[in-house]
Amino acid sequence: MKRNWLLPAALIVALVQIAVLASMIAGRTAILRNGQDVVLEVQPVDPRDLLRGDYVTLGYNISSLSRDIFTSPENGIEGEHWVFVRLQEGENGIWQPVAARLDTPFEDETPAGQVMIKGMMTDAWRDQERLSVVYGIERFYLPEGQGRQIEADMRQREFRMRVAVAADGTPQIKAFLDGGTMLYEEPLY
Amino acid sequence: MAGYATKVKRDIARWVDEGLIEAPLGVRLSEDIERNGGSVVSFGTVLAMMAASLLAAAILIFIASNWEAIPRIARVAMLFLAILAGYLGGAVLKLRGQNAFGEAAWIAGAAAFGGSISLIGQMYHLSGDEAQAVLVWTACTGFAAIALRSGPLTVSAVLLAAGWMIMSAAEDWSATSLPLYYPLVAIALWAISFWTASVAARHLVLLSLFLFALCLYVRNESLDIAAVLAVLSAALFAWSKWYPQAAERLSGMGAGLTVHALIGFLVAMSIFQWALVEEDGFLAASIVTMAGIVAALILAGRDNAVLRWTAYVAFGFQLVFVYLVTVGTMLGTAGFFLVASIALAVLAFLIMRVEKRFAGQSRRVAS
Repeated sequence: MKRNWLLPAALIVALVQIAVLASMIAGRTAILRNGQDVVLEVQPVDPRDLLRGDYVTLGYNISSLSRDIFTSPENGIEGEHWVFVRLQEGENGIWQPVAARLDTPFEDETPAGQVMIKGMMTDAWRDQERLSVVYGIERFYLPEGQGRQIEADMRQREFRMRVAVAADGTPQIKAFLDGGTMLYEEPLY
Repeated sequence: MAGYATKVKRDIARWVDEGLIEAPLGVRLSEDIERNGGSVVSFGTVLAMMAASLLAAAILIFIASNWEAIPRIARVAMLFLAILAGYLGGAVLKLRGQNAFGEAAWIAGAAAFGGSISLIGQMYHLSGDEAQAVLVWTACTGFAAIALRSGPLTVSAVLLAAGWMIMSAAEDWSATSLPLYYPLVAIALWAISFWTASVAARHLVLLSLFLFALCLYVRNESLDIAAVLAVLSAALFAWSKWYPQAAERLSGMGAGLTVHALIGFLVAMSIFQWALVEEDGFLAASIVTMAGIVAALILAGRDNAVLRWTAYVAFGFQLVFVYLVTVGTMLGTAGFFLVASIALAVLAFLIMRVEKRFAGQSRRVAS
């Protein structure tokens, strides 16, 4: 059997797979570079054990949305639905949700001073007043051994997260802030 | 199946020794076995693959645990190098005739790719959508299997696809998350397995489809799914029994296809029995199940030892299950053991009779 195709084929496979990975990195870098920054308040989700392996699980001030801000609050919705949320900078620099919509982005343009972020509802919406949403930024990976200290600090002080948001609403963690001081800042690469 | 090629080659050598066939024909037959035995996995190959996967894991864990010490760009470069080394190194090993180690290096490459996805997720603090990441891994491994015509990579892709299906389903059982187009993925993998001559991959595809049906049932709790699976399995059985050539062309699994048809049927009927356990339909479902097992035994058992033993085991399970559900509660433990011992004795007697009969038939056919 002719086998001179084998080396070029292996090279192509490796390059294609590397290209897939590189495009993932490029996508994230583009959000970090071009996205609009918002600052969110970190709220621990599970007060007993935030630390899971090498990351902490985080919740935010926008993880639970009030029914009032939805344009069309619908009961009885189940399963995976996108949630589009408009944020506006409030006092003390924390961005707050001002409007939300299920399934499709808002038709009109995002007003000046607001940023649209995209999330996914996590439980069925029946009669409760608040809806839980995840945005894909609920994990923060820490260097080994630093988790416990941060977990302890988070119970005592207010932590914040600076998040870059792409035009389509995809968020990307940019910096983890302990009060006003920078704890970690993500380099582009 | 693992020892098939070795066994046939040994037989060929014996035939040549005994003068049944000419030596050149023997060589040609042995070569054919080697060429078409793409899925033949020897113990050494399995060990080589495990070694490769461990190596890949070691590299990834090393990179992950020294995360902060290495600059980001260097980490990414190391990952890319690992992938490149895996695939190119595998090709070089194969060209040198080191088939098992070549395939193992490719598996290491594919593992490095999957690990890289998770490390990138860690780098950018991504959360959620692990299933999506596994799907990307599946697709890229499938692509590698096509490009390199590799059986082990095909098997890996099938396992990853099944993993993706299960992960998506497990995210939320009530919701729409079970990928309904999984059968299409299965068909694509089936096609790839022909290109890479991987029978093992096809076996796994069929099993994963049964698993898919099971997930579908868990989600919908509709017995229609079990009914469809039962009918399809019966049809598959009939097809492989009465159109063996066509079935062989589309499956290339030989007698294995009938065994899968029986397994599919058993999965479907087990769903029925499970769902109807406290209801009137239970006995009917059990009778159909046992009738199906006996029918499979009579129709295809003669030349198919695997099918026979699958049928025996299933029949034994059925006896115990039906007994437990119907009379088990009345008789207590001692009674259960008594009945079980009698049932097992009867079953053993029947199996011996059936095996003897089939053996006699085979001899008559041969002579």
